[in-house]
Amino acid sequence: MAREAAKSLRISHVGLRGIVGDGMTAAHVLDFASAFGTFLEPGGAVVIGRDPRSSGVMIREGVIAGLLACGCDVVDLGVVSTPVIQNAIRRLDAAGGVSIGASHNAAEWNALKFFGRNATYLSTAEASELLDIYHLKKFTFVDWNRLGVLRSENTAIDLYLDELAGVFDFNALRGIRVVIDCSNGTSSLILQRMNARFGFKFVLINEHLEGVSFAHEPATTRDTVMLQLAPLMKPLQADAGFLFDVDSDRVAMASEDGTAASEEIMLPLLADYLLPRGGGKLIITNLSTTALVEEIAARHGGTVVRVPVGRQAAIDALSSYRPEQVALAGEGTGAVMMPQFRFVYDGIASMLAVLSMMHERKKKLGEIIASYPRYSILKGQVPLVSQRVPALLAALRTRYKDGRQNAADGLRVDWPERWFHVRVSQTEPIVRIICEQRGDPPTELYDALLEEVRRFA
Amino acid sequence: MPRREHLLKIGVSGIRGVVGEFLTPALACAFAQAFGTYVRGGRVVVGRDTRSSGEMLQHAVACGLLAAGCEVVETGILPTPTIQIYVGATQAQGGIAITASHNPAEYNALKLFNAGGLFFNNYERSELIDLYHQSDFRQASNAEIRRVVSDHLSAVQIHFDRVLAHVDAPRIRARKFRVALDAVNGAGSLVSPRFLGETLGCELAAISIDPTKPFPREAEPRAEVLGDLVDLVRRTKSDIGFAQDPDGDRLAVVDENGSVLDGDDILALAVDAALRRLPGDVVVNLTTSSVIDDVARAHGRRVWRTPVGEANVVETMQSVNAAIGGEGSNGGVIFPAVHLCRDSYTGMAFLLDRMAETGEAISTLAGRLPRYFRRLGKVSFEHGRLGGLMQELETQFPSAETDRSDGLKVTLPGGWIHVRASNTEPLLRVAVEARSPQEVEDLYGTVLRLFGKSE
Repeated sequence: MAREAAKSLRISHVGLRGIVGDGMTAAHVLDFASAFGTFLEPGGAVVIGRDPRSSGVMIREGVIAGLLACGCDVVDLGVVSTPVIQNAIRRLDAAGGVSIGASHNAAEWNALKFFGRNATYLSTAEASELLDIYHLKKFTFVDWNRLGVLRSENTAIDLYLDELAGVFDFNALRGIRVVIDCSNGTSSLILQRMNARFGFKFVLINEHLEGVSFAHEPATTRDTVMLQLAPLMKPLQADAGFLFDVDSDRVAMASEDGTAASEEIMLPLLADYLLPRGGGKLIITNLSTTALVEEIAARHGGTVVRVPVGRQAAIDALSSYRPEQVALAGEGTGAVMMPQFRFVYDGIASMLAVLSMMHERKKKLGEIIASYPRYSILKGQVPLVSQRVPALLAALRTRYKDGRQNAADGLRVDWPERWFHVRVSQTEPIVRIICEQRGDPPTELYDALLEEVRRFA
Repeated sequence: MPRREHLLKIGVSGIRGVVGEFLTPALACAFAQAFGTYVRGGRVVVGRDTRSSGEMLQHAVACGLLAAGCEVVETGILPTPTIQIYVGATQAQGGIAITASHNPAEYNALKLFNAGGLFFNNYERSELIDLYHQSDFRQASNAEIRRVVSDHLSAVQIHFDRVLAHVDAPRIRARKFRVALDAVNGAGSLVSPRFLGETLGCELAAISIDPTKPFPREAEPRAEVLGDLVDLVRRTKSDIGFAQDPDGDRLAVVDENGSVLDGDDILALAVDAALRRLPGDVVVNLTTSSVIDDVARAHGRRVWRTPVGEANVVETMQSVNAAIGGEGSNGGVIFPAVHLCRDSYTGMAFLLDRMAETGEAISTLAGRLPRYFRRLGKVSFEHGRLGGLMQELETQFPSAETDRSDGLKVTLPGGWIHVRASNTEPLLRVAVEARSPQEVEDLYGTVLRLFGKSE
C-alpha cells in the first residue's frame, strides 16, 4: 500500500509530480505555487503555461492563485511547450516560470516544473530552498492591495519561432520531407505555425491536442516510434520522421526506410553536428547513455563528462562550466540542450539541428545514422527493495574489479568497447541494468548481470 | 481571555477574512473543494465583486471546484443577487460569490448558494463545514476534470427581466426621473447605470462607477458616509438618489431634499408596493421596525419575525410562502417573485414604480408612513453575559410579550427593545423603538442601566 501511494506523488528537487486526484491534489498545487511565489526575488512577472492534459485546467487555476497571493504578476501563455515558456521568461526578463505538464508520462499524471530568472531549471541549492519553504508552509502572502495581476499572452509561439529562425536557416530546411508524430501534445501548435508562417511542409499525425486519451504513450522511445510513425515513412516518401513528447522537450526519430532509430542516437548525432562548428568541446551526459558519444567526441577533439542520471545532475554540472566550454548536454532519452538556446531541453531545436545536418550533408537521416559504428545496448529492470542495494553494489564491485569503475550513481564499469551501468530508479523500487558493446549485443555480460541482481531480489 | 479581532472566520456562514495573512488561497481552494464535494460535481457558477483580491480568490475557488470534478461557469464581476438569479435560472448545481459584501476592502469572503441560487440553509451549511473539516474531498482524476466556461453577458439581462416583470416599466420610463447613483465602485458600477439609465429611462448622475478603483467610502451605505451622494442629489436636483454596497444587495436611498431615508422605511415602501401586486405574508427580522406591521395590516397580511440574518429571513419566507421580506436595518428587500435574495435592483424598481404610479415625491411617500423613532447601538460585551441581561430585562418588564429566538425582544405597548449578541464581534447589539424620541431615550437608558446591573 505505502509503496503504491508513494509512487503516485513525488515531491523532489525537480518539482511536484503525481497522478492527479490520486496522490497529487489541488492543495499540493496551491502550496507549491505559494512556495515558489515566496521563493522568487521580488520584481518581474512569472510566466506560466501548460500542456493539454485536462487536469492542467485545474492546476493552472491553483498556480495562478498561489502566485497572485504572493504578489507575483502572472503572464499566462496558455497551452504551449516547455521550451516556449523558457523562451518567454528570457524575453520578458521574468522572475521565473512554471510549466504545468507531465511531459512523457501517461495522461493521468501531471507535474509542476519550476524555472528561475535565467529560464533554466532550478539548481539543487535553489530547489532545496523551494522545498524547505514548501514544507514549512510559511508563505509570504502580500496584503490585499498589493496582490499580483494576471495577463494572457498569445504571441509566445511566434516570438519563440523568431528566435529559432535566427539560428537555423528555415529557407534551406523547409523543402525536406518530414513526418512528425505530435503525441497529441504541444509540438503540434508550433509545427502547424511553422507550416503556416514559414512554408514548411511537415506532415503531422496525432496533431490533435488531447486532454484524456493520448493516441499512444507519449514517451520518446524506439517502441513508440515503431507504433505509428515508422510505418508511414516509406509510403509518404519522407526523408526523416520525428516524435515529440507532450511538452516537446524530448524527441525521437525514424529513418526514411521505416526503421525507428534508437533513442540513444540523438546525442551522438548532435555531437557530430555541433562539435566541428567551433564553440565548446564538452559534452555533458549521464552514465547510462551510449558510448558512441565518446567515439564521436574523440573524432572532433571533444570530451564527454558523465554525471548521474536525472535532470538535476545535468543542470548542476552545466552550472559548473562556463557556457562557452560546453558543446552539448543531454541524455539517451532524446532530451538535448544546446548552448544557442541557453541550455534548454528543446525537442524542436534538436529536430532543426538534425534537419540542418541532413541539408548540409545532403543525406537522409538513415544514411547519416548508418555511417556511425554500430553499438548494441541492452536495457532491463529487476524489482528490488531499497535495503538490499548496498550489498548488491558491493558484490558487483568485487566481481567486476577488472574494469574502470564509477560509483557516482549506482555502479558503472567500463572496459574497452564494453560497459554496464546498474542503478536504482528514482521513481520506482527497481534496479535498472544498462549494458552496451561496440558491435554485437553483450548478451553474456547482460545475462550475468541479471542473474547477479536477481540473487539480491 | 484577550479580545481579538476576528480577522478570519470559518463557520456556518462560510469563510470570511482579511486577505493576505489570514484568508489565503489555500483556504479558499480547500473550502471550494469541500463545496464541490458537497454538490457532487456538476456545474457551479463563480462570480465576484470588485475587490482587488477577487481575481486571486476566483482562481483559488476555480481550482478547488475543478479538483472536485465540477464544471466552473465564471461570470466575472456581478452583483450578488445577479449571481444568485443566474444560478437558479441556468440550473447550476450551486454558486459561489466572492464578496465580503459591506465589509471593508481588505476583507473578502465566499458566499455559498445551493442549486436554486439560495443561500445555504442551516442544515446545508453545517454539513458543508463538517465536510471541510474532515478534508475528505472528491478528487477528480484527469479524465473527470471538467472545464472553465466564461459567461459575462447573460446573467444581467436575466436579472433585469425578472425585476421588470413586477413593475410598470413604460410608466417609469415615461417619467424620465432624474436619478443620482453611488455604486461605491462595486459590482453595481456597470450594471446599475445600465439598469437605471438604459432600461428605466432615467436621467442619471452617477459617482463611483469605476470597478477598477478602490471603494471611495465605507462599503456599507450608512447615512453618515453618503455625503457625496447627498451633494449630488442636491446639485443635480435629482428626484431620488440610490447608494449600493460593493456587491449590490444592500440599498440606501436619498430623497429629493437630500435626506437619507431610514432603511426600515425603504423596506416599508417596498412591502407596500409588493403587497399591492401579490398575495402572501411578510417576513422580517426581530430588529425591523413596527412600520412593517402597520403596512401589512393595511393590506390585511401577517408579519412573521425571524432571528437576524438574511438566511433566517429567507428560510421563513420559503416556509410561509411569503410575498416579500427583508431586514430593515440595511435596506435589504427580498422579493421571491424575482428571487429569494436581498436585491437592491428590486428595491430601486419598486420605489421608482411607486413614484411613477402616484406622481408623488419620494419624501412624500416616505412621510406618509407611520412615524416611529429608533435607536440602534452596540456595547462592548462578553458573549457569556447575555443571559444575565436577558433575565434582568424580563424582570423589569414582567407583563411584556417576549421573543427569545435571537437574544431577547421585549415588546411593550408603546415600543420594543431587542438585545442580541453580534455574530461576528464581541459586541451586544441593542435596538429600541418607540413612538417618540423621549420614549426611545428612556428605553435605551433602561437597557444601559440593566446592563450595568448585570455586570
